[in-house]
Amino acid sequence: MTFPFSLPPWMLVWTAFLPPLAALGAATLVRRAHARAGEMQPWIEAGVVGLTLVPLAVVVAWPGLLLPARAALAAGLSIALLAHDPRDLPQTEVALKIMWVLTAAFALSWAGDALLAMASGSARAREQWPALALALDPYALWTAALSLSMMAGLVLLGGAPFHFWPGDLFHGARAHVAPFVAATLQLAGAAWLLRHLDGITAFNDAAVLVRSLLTLAAAAALAGGAATLGYQSRPERRVGALVSLQGGLVLASLAAAPSREPFADHGGLALWAGHMLLAATGATLLSRFLPATAGPEERASVLFRRHPWSGAAGGYALLSLAGAPGTPGMYLWLDVARTLADHRRPGLLFGVMLAWLAAFGVSAFEIRRAFGSPDGSPPPGRAVPRSLRTAMWLASGSLLVLLWVWRTHPGG
Amino acid sequence: MAFAGLRVPPNYAGAACAAVGVLLLMMPGLAWAAIGLELVALAFWLWARSLPDRGEQLQRWGWLRRPPMALWLAAALFLALPELKLVFAPVPAGPAAGPITPPAFMPAPLPMARDPMLLLRTLASLAVLWAGLELMAALPLSRPFPDLTGPARPVGPWLTAILPVTGFLVLWRQAAVWTAAPLVREIATLALMFAVVLAALRAFSRRSLTATLRWLVVYDSALASLLVARDVVRGEIAGLLWLGAAGGRLIALAAELRGQAVRRGTRLTRFWRFAGWVAGASLAWPLLADAGFAEHQFHAVEYFVLAAPVMIASALWLNRVVEAPERRAMARREDRAPRVSRLGAVATLLVGPASLAWAWRQGFHVSPLAAAAAVLPPLLAWWPVRRLIPAADPSGMVREHGSGGPRDFALSTFRAVTVIERQLAAAIASVARALGAPARDLHSGDAQEYLLFLVGVAVLALLLPLLR
Repeated sequence: MTFPFSLPPWMLVWTAFLPPLAALGAATLVRRAHARAGEMQPWIEAGVVGLTLVPLAVVVAWPGLLLPARAALAAGLSIALLAHDPRDLPQTEVALKIMWVLTAAFALSWAGDALLAMASGSARAREQWPALALALDPYALWTAALSLSMMAGLVLLGGAPFHFWPGDLFHGARAHVAPFVAATLQLAGAAWLLRHLDGITAFNDAAVLVRSLLTLAAAAALAGGAATLGYQSRPERRVGALVSLQGGLVLASLAAAPSREPFADHGGLALWAGHMLLAATGATLLSRFLPATAGPEERASVLFRRHPWSGAAGGYALLSLAGAPGTPGMYLWLDVARTLADHRRPGLLFGVMLAWLAAFGVSAFEIRRAFGSPDGSPPPGRAVPRSLRTAMWLASGSLLVLLWVWRTHPGG
Repeated sequence: MAFAGLRVPPNYAGAACAAVGVLLLMMPGLAWAAIGLELVALAFWLWARSLPDRGEQLQRWGWLRRPPMALWLAAALFLALPELKLVFAPVPAGPAAGPITPPAFMPAPLPMARDPMLLLRTLASLAVLWAGLELMAALPLSRPFPDLTGPARPVGPWLTAILPVTGFLVLWRQAAVWTAAPLVREIATLALMFAVVLAALRAFSRRSLTATLRWLVVYDSALASLLVARDVVRGEIAGLLWLGAAGGRLIALAAELRGQAVRRGTRLTRFWRFAGWVAGASLAWPLLADAGFAEHQFHAVEYFVLAAPVMIASALWLNRVVEAPERRAMARREDRAPRVSRLGAVATLLVGPASLAWAWRQGFHVSPLAAAAAVLPPLLAWWPVRRLIPAADPSGMVREHGSGGPRDFALSTFRAVTVIERQLAAAIASVARALGAPARDLHSGDAQEYLLFLVGVAVLALLLPLLR
């Protein structure tokens, strides 16, 4: 089934900017909800806070900017944003942890890059592979260098076993910052790997090695992500685990076809990161209203008793992050599944299926738990701030537009 | 279910969801079936959360999300890889050699071959089968559910009986998706035969008529699914045969909750007894003939494994549908229940034989010996089997004194099987939990551990290429 009319090309180009703009709007609205006064001043303050996220939004809209050095800069900027308020201890702690891990990961990767440059005589990836193909260097040297050089990309993508940072980020950072930081870091990881694999087909041994390593990493990310999703203790951490599965999807796709869609070109990457940004924005807002320990037989939280439709809007974002049917996230998972099937990778496809079942199942259970059970008590008197509800509607509405774009133009 | 300005009582919301869900199951297409099952699961959730014992009810019916998930998985596989539908299709190997000899077809490939497409196709077929079997209490995890009443108080005992109905609808309407895979068909046959035996035993071991009828619906659905799995008759005919048998039991179950309308008066009771027996015999007859006498050979194991439950189920229906005591001094003139009940009995009586006649017109054929042998178990149920099993009192309840009888045997057999299944499932779950425990304890949240972990993975990445 297709829609009777399709988007004009100029509008299609601008859809890459829709998710970051909508997420910026949502971030401003979330920030506005922190202030209680009705004057203009809180709006101005919220707008200023929203503007600090613009560099990250630009990166999400245009991933072509992300050369490896710029990826490291973007990661540094993200950490600076997290650490800018020393009074916010949980967010500062997250910044510290991510900085700690990323510094080591970049150090290892740059060591690998330097070794590769020494072995091949060039610092450009496209020139390194033909030089290494001459087999003038010891096997152990270039394989060790290649493995190390990919380390930063793997850590930045946040797939298991590096899924701790998305969990910590969504648990500790503020709701309007966490999705931007997660999208930027994961995008930086994808860009890092893509740039490092540029032209690798010129050296078959290296391509085989990289495929093996990426397959291992993707399998660990998908299986580990699926296994740990149910064990997460808090709803925010579950959103983080779902975000880490998005990194697993990129790894699986790269393992199957390093130079093919859906993530090989910048448009595909922008669509993936944009969807992730929007879905994570809605999901992380929702997670702040979800009960941490209550069972499905207990009564619902304030959001779901006072504004159940807004809760449903947030639930749509959560389901999209999990790739549930009827959401734009579904198309992303389907694209990856098709890529894996085209390249005859049943093992990874099985991993994607496992992860999808876990993600969809946990999200559906979470939403049921959120709606709880009616106990006959009247709805609470105090409402959830309108700007927070608007932010959730903005995220889910933009996801619906993405769904429309995806259906009219499969694969974006 | 309450929304701002709009309040729908959960009973009505659940009923609407369940009705739409069952209707969607009739549509072709896995996605519709998945949405239908989601709606049925949603209905049970809406009902369960509105009850005072909601904690227990929600836990009891939580498994209902598994079947739609299985269907979503199959739908996703076919959506991502449309060519999967062609994987098990027989390939023409040559043209027809004349007007009588049909064209030759190469057999469908076995799923054990190493082509990932075959594996995925088998997986998709197994997912559909899983959904259908689980809803028919034919899988260990959901086996005991027909013993329980549903979560909506007035119609609870009847509600549980719609789950095997949805299971059969899934297997029947999606038959093209799962019956094409060779291994899946064999698994289905085995699981369904086991389910038929257990359902008949459990129906026999229950004292109350309502519980017995619920298990008989499971039995009918499993029997009809066997017709589909073994491709004995066309799907439409299997559906009609099932409608006659299970439909009759469902009407009887609903009537039992609304003044026992099936068992009012001697003539009506006898009519229902005969109609239900004919419908059940019509459903079992083609299956017994096919399983016992396929390829002009007598398959004793298949025949007797199916004949025993058929005999028990027929005898149960004949023995338990007894006239209810009339407590009213005078029946109201406007009481239409007997007329409606009689109409239901007529429909139940006619659907089965009419479907068999249609099958015969379409070319369904059995040898005279097979036909006679297949009708024997239901006939034996009139006598002597009916005399051997304890009769129900007018309230529909079996009051058996003493132990060691056939009812005890059926009860202990069913319990033994379910206990073994439950222990097996628990063992597998504990192994999975033990394997998953390291994933839970992967890190403690300490930043220094992160660093150590990263260094460990880096060392592994260095060593892995050298170990290749």
